Amino acid sequence: MIVAFKLREHPDSMSTDAATIVYEDTDENLRTISLTGRLDIQGTEAVGNKFAILSASDKHRIVVDLTGLEFLASIGIRSLVSNAKAQQQRGGRLVLFVGDNASIAKVLKTTGIDTVIPMFADAAEARKAALA
Amino acid sequence: MTAATVNQAAELSIRADAVEVRRASLWLEAAALQQRVPAEQIARLDICLNEALANILAHGGHSSRQSEVQLHFRVHQESDVHEAAVTVSDSGIAFDPLAYQAGPRPGTLAEIEPGGLGLIMMKEAADHLDYERSEGRNQLTFTVRWDKAADNRPQA
Repeated sequence: MIVAFKLREHPDSMSTDAATIVYEDTDENLRTISLTGRLDIQGTEAVGNKFAILSASDKHRIVVDLTGLEFLASIGIRSLVSNAKAQQQRGGRLVLFVGDNASIAKVLKTTGIDTVIPMFADAAEARKAALA
Repeated sequence: MTAATVNQAAELSIRADAVEVRRASLWLEAAALQQRVPAEQIARLDICLNEALANILAHGGHSSRQSEVQLHFRVHQESDVHEAAVTVSDSGIAFDPLAYQAGPRPGTLAEIEPGGLGLIMMKEAADHLDYERSEGRNQLTFTVRWDKAADNRPQA
């Protein structure tokens, strides 16, 4: 078993390792939201509002790119769930793209989230599923 | 060789406040690196620490803020088996996470309950969880173990 865990180069970098959020509207129907850093209490509070606003689009299906995420706490998972619910209630769809981020994929599988929010290792498959 | 070695590695006291959680993670990472704990095991301890502190903040009540949360980190080695443990001690409402029984896995988004995720994550991440209520404080200890071969495993 290969366990992917990216150790920070500088152990004291965590304090400045705030979660970041960026997005790209790939086309008129699809938005990719990329989350990086730590979705712990502090990180989730830092990006939570922007994440909710970006996810609450009536025009776009959503791919959430977690390939650069270093840490995912339960508060971050609840943020993913609430935004996926919001998309669903709009008749849309939110899916997760984890790439080869095995540690984040494991957390999502452990909690059973991957069974209710579609999760993909392949970017093209994630985009296809979001638009299906 | 069966000799056992225990290192009383580090202690930290923090306020029961959300802004202190990342400081606790930093402390844990530094202490664990100093004791040559592999990155994978640090990540597992970090999950447990974050969820334990989140539980205190969410459910510990007023009494949890009456005194500081105490964190104690230690490593232990016996023969080829290493283990690292963190004890989180708080003065909040008595709560035994070991008594929590997770419900069935949600089948749909709508069925997901807001609580319980953190406890599932802790139980999955730790090799052993121990709880006791002592002198008016919750004492939760989470332990991870690894074999000596992991020390030489390249980090991804």
